[in-house]
Amino acid sequence: MQTIYTDVLVMGAGLAGERAAIEAAEAGFSAICLSLVPSRRSHSSAAMGGMQAAMGNCAKGEGDCPDVHFADTVKGSDWGCDQEVARMFADRAPVEMRQLAYWGVPWGRVVPGKGTYYKGGKLFDKEEKEENRGLINSRDFGGTAKWRTCYVSDGTGHSVLYTVDNVCAKLGVEVHDKTEAISLITDGVTCFGCVARCLRTGELRVYLAKATVIATGGFGRIYPGTTNAVICDGGGHITAINTGLVPMGNMEAVQFHPTGIVPTEILVTEGCRGDGGTLLDVNEERFMHIYEPEKQELASRDVVSRWMTHHIRQGKGVPSPYGEHLWLDIRHLGEKHITGKLREVYEICTSFLGVNPIHQLIPVRPTHHYSMGGVRTNKDGHAYGISGLFSVGEASCWDMHGFNRLGGNSLAETVVAGGIVGKKIAEFLQGAEVTFNSAVIDAEVKKQQERIGNIIRCKNGTENVYKVRKTMQDTLHKGANIFRTEQGLTECVKTLQETLERARKVGLKSNGLGVNPELSAALKIEGQVKMALMVAYGALNRTESRGSHNREDYPARNDRDWLTRTLAYWKNEKDDLPTLEYEAATQIFHIPPGDRGYGKSQIIQAENIPAAPKG
Amino acid sequence: MSLPLTANHPTLNARRMDGVLDWAQMLTGVGLIAFMWAHMLLVGSVLLSPEIMNSIAAFFENSGMAQVGGPLIFALFLAHFVLAARKIPFRLEGQKTIWEHAKLIHHADTWLWVVQAASAMVILIMGAIHMWAVLSDLPIVALKAAETLQRNKWWLAFYLLLAPLVHVHLGIGLYRIAVKWGFAGRAERRGLKRFATLIVLVSVGISVLTLFRFWFMVA
Amino acid sequence: MARNLKFNIFRYNPQDPESTPHMETFSLEETDSLTLFIALNRIREEQDPSLQFDFCCRAGICGSCGMVINGRPGLACHTKTKDLPDEITLLPLPVFQLVGDLSVDTGSWFRELYDTVESWIHTSKTFDPNAQEERMEDAVAEAIYELDRCIECGCCIAACGTARMRPDFLGAAGINKVGRFLIDPRDERTEQDYYEILGTDMGIFGCMGLLACEDVCPKHMPLQNQLGFLRRKMGITALKNFFGK
Repeated sequence: MQTIYTDVLVMGAGLAGERAAIEAAEAGFSAICLSLVPSRRSHSSAAMGGMQAAMGNCAKGEGDCPDVHFADTVKGSDWGCDQEVARMFADRAPVEMRQLAYWGVPWGRVVPGKGTYYKGGKLFDKEEKEENRGLINSRDFGGTAKWRTCYVSDGTGHSVLYTVDNVCAKLGVEVHDKTEAISLITDGVTCFGCVARCLRTGELRVYLAKATVIATGGFGRIYPGTTNAVICDGGGHITAINTGLVPMGNMEAVQFHPTGIVPTEILVTEGCRGDGGTLLDVNEERFMHIYEPEKQELASRDVVSRWMTHHIRQGKGVPSPYGEHLWLDIRHLGEKHITGKLREVYEICTSFLGVNPIHQLIPVRPTHHYSMGGVRTNKDGHAYGISGLFSVGEASCWDMHGFNRLGGNSLAETVVAGGIVGKKIAEFLQGAEVTFNSAVIDAEVKKQQERIGNIIRCKNGTENVYKVRKTMQDTLHKGANIFRTEQGLTECVKTLQETLERARKVGLKSNGLGVNPELSAALKIEGQVKMALMVAYGALNRTESRGSHNREDYPARNDRDWLTRTLAYWKNEKDDLPTLEYEAATQIFHIPPGDRGYGKSQIIQAENIPAAPKG
Repeated sequence: MSLPLTANHPTLNARRMDGVLDWAQMLTGVGLIAFMWAHMLLVGSVLLSPEIMNSIAAFFENSGMAQVGGPLIFALFLAHFVLAARKIPFRLEGQKTIWEHAKLIHHADTWLWVVQAASAMVILIMGAIHMWAVLSDLPIVALKAAETLQRNKWWLAFYLLLAPLVHVHLGIGLYRIAVKWGFAGRAERRGLKRFATLIVLVSVGISVLTLFRFWFMVA
Repeated sequence: MARNLKFNIFRYNPQDPESTPHMETFSLEETDSLTLFIALNRIREEQDPSLQFDFCCRAGICGSCGMVINGRPGLACHTKTKDLPDEITLLPLPVFQLVGDLSVDTGSWFRELYDTVESWIHTSKTFDPNAQEERMEDAVAEAIYELDRCIECGCCIAACGTARMRPDFLGAAGINKVGRFLIDPRDERTEQDYYEILGTDMGIFGCMGLLACEDVCPKHMPLQNQLGFLRRKMGITALKNFFGK
């Protein structure tokens, strides 16, 4: 068995993981990133739209500052976020954008002079100042008071990921791609690294590290239709859940993006609406201005998705063989804009739908998109429950997003949090000594070898992993979607519990030799169903509506009882339900809970909110 | 900026000659294209009348240009071969690779390269024979050429093969130089390809007509 | 009337001593808007769970799913079966190390490339977190992004005759990558530094101009123009060096 030692081990080589690794490497520590795919194929690359940071350089962003960004983020989260963390994020974001510019990101820049822009289908004028020529530009995104989203044409995530990966190459941060972590090595107190499976040969390897970071992104693939890449399967989360010690925060907070295309569920960027695209119904009429007179198409994602679903329920959806949908209209933006700043959208529409968005409408509907929940960490990114384990990016519940994340805040989170947490990891490593216990390591390896052997030899049963996965996905889709009810969730939990039993009996049909994809899926299925149960059970118990979590039977946001964060543990391996605990959503209130200014406004007031500290 | 891994540093600098050699490959190619077109027009003038061809030939011979220029062109011809051969696989393994590659990807320009490399080998041999035959038997007179062809019809077959091959090689080479050096961009490529095809067709046409003019020339 | 599609797929699992390279045939009924992403997953889930292939974003953005589709390197995720004949032949990309079936190791190849061409901004400046960002013209930023759009799927490398014959050739993706830094005003490398990387048969002078890269690039990168521009630029440097000494 090959054993590899490093100071910092990062699972995942997307933006958050690599950014954190860079901080550690710059502080003189060795760092290795594990990745299912070559680092540049990580799902960060698919984020087209941009990163929110209060630069305030463009005309429509004038007067912007981290305070406004912070306020937008808290409102967007429906007061579910940790305000201290959101504050750190908003303050640091502009510096991080400049850091990226220094590293080589070709940010869109301010071009002085008069120009026009669309909002709600209407044309408006704006004028950029000469003094801001060449500074980082911003575009409009949903749920924000100012134009704040820094962008690189239509490939922000791609460009930033390539730049950050270049810096990793420069600093000697190693990326072991086609390597999948399958379990953490821990003695119950400290994390020693992980057991990983090589996806070139199928062999197991041991990685030992003083600090281990889970940065594996979202877990959207537990839903049947999602904008997430196929690698966003929760593999990293599962390793943490299986320790029984690390809680997942707010797993019920699942974001549905308003504009996934129908069929294939590929995302078209929020930039479409930010740049003035509109949503139309079966009669090709706009409707968002009726529900949201102020923000219209650019209300936060949870709100727009909810109204879209509501509108379809009103019988205004467009029928199709793939179910009802609505239209996204960007035709008025013109060919130059569509094939320029929205080229990726143009390519997706033409190659996946056979639709030319310059002349035709794009079929869209709300589609699973983002997991606000994840490995719960403190504000340093240190996971709850185990020392030496960190988490960052979408994989984590650092918790700046609460119950709804704003467009452009996740991509920004990857690098901003990566930078902040990376620094904290470097601090943690200064003088930190770890004694690796070989008995613990050997026991974990043996356990994994046995697990793999059992699955290959069908010792536990012969359930088909793909069928089990399908059942889990469909169940979750049915029970824990945009609108949720007690009845639906109860049924969902029950079916998922049965599915968990089946998942424990999965056995392979194929021989399991080498990089067997069936084995990869089978190794994860039990953990995935556990995660699905955390989502559904958390949603069932949260008897209020907040952000993206909508209970039709509890439509009010209940700040009196539910200004909390769900912590879901899987305490014993053989449990068939997660153990839920709760903690206060935030220790410090810079902004007391109030009205978001969009969305519905039914609120059950909290009784005593601690006053905001000075500053 | 790769660091030398071996101790023989001076030879590593040879890599810095690659650019110059690439220029030389291109320029010798362009020179040969220019020569071949002039050659085609010279010999093709027989279509107008044998006297015109004879007098042009006489001019080159009397001024000594044929005696000096001929070997020079031969040198250019060999130089171009040596330069371009840097890119042609001579080991069986390499040949197998490129052949499999061409068969694998359905791509016209890749096949054109295979044609070019293969025609180069044939032209190398046949061109050398041709040059030796002509330059060792000066002067060039239309009637003499006609007699040679008519006396041995293998010569006709020889030229019927060589002439089209040369022009195809020329046409592809011209196209390749233009796209490789960026004289023609993405927008011009299609037009360039058509233009090159046209030139090849016209050149092959003139050459074949010329050959038949000799074939049917009556003493 | 739904077509019955015949898939000829290359099969070989190097980790299975009993496996030998061969073609295997699967058939699948065509459904509406069927892509190779959906088709291959269906084959794996319904017919042979050991079938190896790579997909990631499945939206034509990440570059994972390059393979040779009926003789043409391309991205499987955005290839619709309705644009293909009844018989579809799928092979792994050549040049790259085979992992198994349709899966190849592009990661190692590109990782080595980053080191070879030092694909990062070389600057003597240090980052000042308190200073305003350095200004840049938007047109320059857009020109850089135009070259930065490459998704490193490896199709251009697999389609390249030179890359198949010489393992050290940078290929269109590699040469284009250098071009991206060459036009970036933040990178302080000199003409000679770039010539060190590009001015050899490993770089731009190895290119034989077959243009398969240009023709197969799924992102329609301006490779022909870029290769032509760099050959002229490096050619001029070569002459300067040759006659200058």
